[in-house]
Amino acid sequence: MTDVQARPQLTPLLSNETLARVERLRLRPNRRLTNRARGEHSVGTGGATIDFADYRDYVAGDDIRYVDWNIFARLQRPYLKLYSHEEELHVVVILDASSSMVSEEKFERARQLAAAFSTMALLGTERVSLFAATSTDERSATLQGCSGRSATRLVFEFLENVSPGGNSTIDAAVASALRVHRGKGMAIVLSDFLTTGDVSRSFNLLNSAGLEIFALQLLGPDEIEPDLTGDVRLVDCETGRTLDVSSARDLLDLYHEHRLAQQAWLSSQCRRRNGRFEMISSGSTVESILFETLLRRGWVR
Amino acid sequence: MSWPGFFAIANVWWLLLLVPLLVFYFLKLKRPRVEISSLVLWQAVVNDQRVNSPFQKFRRNILLWLQMAVLILLVLAAMQPFVPGTAEQADYQPVLIDCSASMAATDPVTGKTRLELAKVQVADLIDSLGPDQQISLIAVHSSADRLTEFTGNRRILLDALTAMSMRDVPSQLEDAFRLTQALAKTVPVESVVLFSDGNIPDKVRFSLPFRVNYQQLPAAGPNAGITAFNARLTSSQDWDVFLRVESSADFSGQIVLLQDGQQIGEQPFSLGIGESQRIVFRVTSEISTALEARLIRGNAQFDSLAADNVAWLDLPPARPLRVYAAPQLNSFRRALAATPGVDLFPKPKQPKQRSVNYDLVISDKSVDQDLIAPVHFLVGVTPDDAESLVEPSSALTKFLDWDRTTPLLRHMQLRDVEIADAIQPVAGVDVGDFEEAGHSVVATGTSGPLILRRRSASRLTFHTLFHTSRSTLEFRVAFPVLVANLVQLSRQEAAVGDVAGVQTGVLPAVDLSAGVEYEIDGPDNSLPTVLADENGQLRGVTANRAGRYRISGGDSERRSVAANLLSSMESTLTPVSSIEFDEQTVASADDVLASDRPVWSMVTLLAFGILLVEWWFFQRPRTQNPVRTAASKSV
Repeated sequence: MTDVQARPQLTPLLSNETLARVERLRLRPNRRLTNRARGEHSVGTGGATIDFADYRDYVAGDDIRYVDWNIFARLQRPYLKLYSHEEELHVVVILDASSSMVSEEKFERARQLAAAFSTMALLGTERVSLFAATSTDERSATLQGCSGRSATRLVFEFLENVSPGGNSTIDAAVASALRVHRGKGMAIVLSDFLTTGDVSRSFNLLNSAGLEIFALQLLGPDEIEPDLTGDVRLVDCETGRTLDVSSARDLLDLYHEHRLAQQAWLSSQCRRRNGRFEMISSGSTVESILFETLLRRGWVR
Repeated sequence: MSWPGFFAIANVWWLLLLVPLLVFYFLKLKRPRVEISSLVLWQAVVNDQRVNSPFQKFRRNILLWLQMAVLILLVLAAMQPFVPGTAEQADYQPVLIDCSASMAATDPVTGKTRLELAKVQVADLIDSLGPDQQISLIAVHSSADRLTEFTGNRRILLDALTAMSMRDVPSQLEDAFRLTQALAKTVPVESVVLFSDGNIPDKVRFSLPFRVNYQQLPAAGPNAGITAFNARLTSSQDWDVFLRVESSADFSGQIVLLQDGQQIGEQPFSLGIGESQRIVFRVTSEISTALEARLIRGNAQFDSLAADNVAWLDLPPARPLRVYAAPQLNSFRRALAATPGVDLFPKPKQPKQRSVNYDLVISDKSVDQDLIAPVHFLVGVTPDDAESLVEPSSALTKFLDWDRTTPLLRHMQLRDVEIADAIQPVAGVDVGDFEEAGHSVVATGTSGPLILRRRSASRLTFHTLFHTSRSTLEFRVAFPVLVANLVQLSRQEAAVGDVAGVQTGVLPAVDLSAGVEYEIDGPDNSLPTVLADENGQLRGVTANRAGRYRISGGDSERRSVAANLLSSMESTLTPVSSIEFDEQTVASADDVLASDRPVWSMVTLLAFGILLVEWWFFQRPRTQNPVRTAASKSV
């Protein structure tokens, strides 16, 4: 522990102590969609690992190096010894960097989580790609195909340099990411999902691309519990549009119903695609989110 | 159920302020700007809130509703709503308040006097005055006083009501109703409210031109009091002192008699409900002396009225009654000569002495009216002011009717008396003409008035419009009775030998120095000054409270006169539930007069309460919504 504290800060996104704990965590996908490339995810038999998987009858042409001679000596029949096969899993982190993420430290928390997830994936020998969507008119900032522990510095630098702003929607961010991404795995979508579009299409695209959807909705405390009274004029910080609301306090229950309904809808969209959904408050610390909420919900192990 | 009314319904136009309120509400442009991440959720909320009906906007806008409610309530308060009571809504309402002695009777439980209860009810009436209503307060006692003009000024009315005090006098309603009738000539008066405890005469000689709402106050506690206090000279120095004690309930106690401050006797008494008891003391005194009788109640007895528990009587020096009877009236002189305690003038073989102060003058000569005496009985002498009303007649006449209650004609039977040469009224003259001339008719014959009575300031004069020698009266039993009545009456008037306690109201005339101003120190601590007239008599001194009035001033020694309540009607506290007027009878109202109850203050309070609710609603601490709490826990 003393060593961890003595080391210089690796990234302003996560403290060294948090990073040390993150390094011991691994992502826990439901479907284990993998690529053919060798990795750490066991996907069946016939691999070259040292982990025994099964026996099968020997057939002509099999490599006799895998014949279990002890069995042959006892039964006088050759059986082939099979070992498990492990493949690589591609982790795609899609970060919503639009203006709506600026308020209430949502973008800051999203960057921290993206760094944490990337670290977990890289140390789990996964391949990591990062996409940060800002404006619909511009291409997303990307960092593709990182792997290995040494890539963590690249990931941290990428995330540290991403600045929020713009009017990009999550649909556009997903579409932009899928234009350049190839490979199966899991897609971690970090967004407030406060968009007028239909995210089901984006989820379909991700699912079709062989990516298991991990959707994380980041909302600020004031978005969870708005403190509005009387007649107010609401201004959208992303689009600049205004909306007059009278007797806002009376509408809070209705607002909450809509917010919960949206969460329920997003959750159902993810579950239908064997994915996961979680709403977290940007007011919570990243340690609380990672080591309590997500650990308890089975996102990481 | 009675619908509420409005004193100022024209203020309903203020409701038009609702229009600018709504307009301003819609046009209000200044809203605080709140920057949020996205309008997505709020847009959905607003879309969900808005339905097709434009008024749906108001449904959840509690601020607007509260403001409208406050405005409506304020306008309602400005309209001055009231709950109608049983009191009539007359524009001009005379209110007669009995402030006689019995109104000072207290309740044993509350300790409040009847007058205080009446003031509370009248104050309610004043408080409920409408904008177009005016009240005139009239105090009723032995006469009537108008306390205020017709006014709607509550302050003036309440000040006058507060300043009104009771008087130790019996109540008389005639003056009050005549005063009200006079007021009704200037303003339209449809009804009169009378507040009284019911200790009032049950008959009032008055023709009502308006309705009377008789509000009888609840009965007071038990009371016993001295209702009569007089004395009669029985010998040269012995007086029989008579007291009468009456009670409204079972009562026992004793009467203590003091002479010049020294107790000279006491006698117990015990009375049932409505009973009276006569108590006699013997007092010996040759000189003038002051008597004071005190009613001492027994233990655990409650006496609700204090004014009748003490009575005073001033006994004059003992002397015979000085009577002048004209020498030619032999029948009178013979009867008087046989009457004890009478000093008859003129003495035989002595001339008439005009400078002597007589107590009774009996004469058939008009010139003898100049003799000084409190009582004159003029036989066959026509009053100077009635000369034009009568003419001589030679026809026989008889007594037709006579006032049996007047002291002169008590215990007399005049039916069989025949009269010759009586003076009869000229054609067209009736009793009313004599009354207008200042005479009251106490006996009437077949052809007209036969005996007239006139009360002036210091003299009581009787005129018989026939000569007794020209009638059979002198031969009837009624004649010695008449002479005895005259002597008795003269004793009372001259306070010689027969003395009665002075009642409150106006003090009797007191002989002092002419033209001198005297200060009267009464029991109510007022110090009025009164000027003695040219005859040296002090007259017209009001005595509203029972007690001793001390007169000082000039060179004469200090005098005192005591005034007593001495009213059976006031002491027995026996209320009358109906008053019989000349043409109708007015019963006491069954219900307590309920005045209109203004409710504008309650409406204003309600508006204020709504303002407080509005303040609380928008400033209340946020409570945890169960749904939100669950959602927060899920984070």
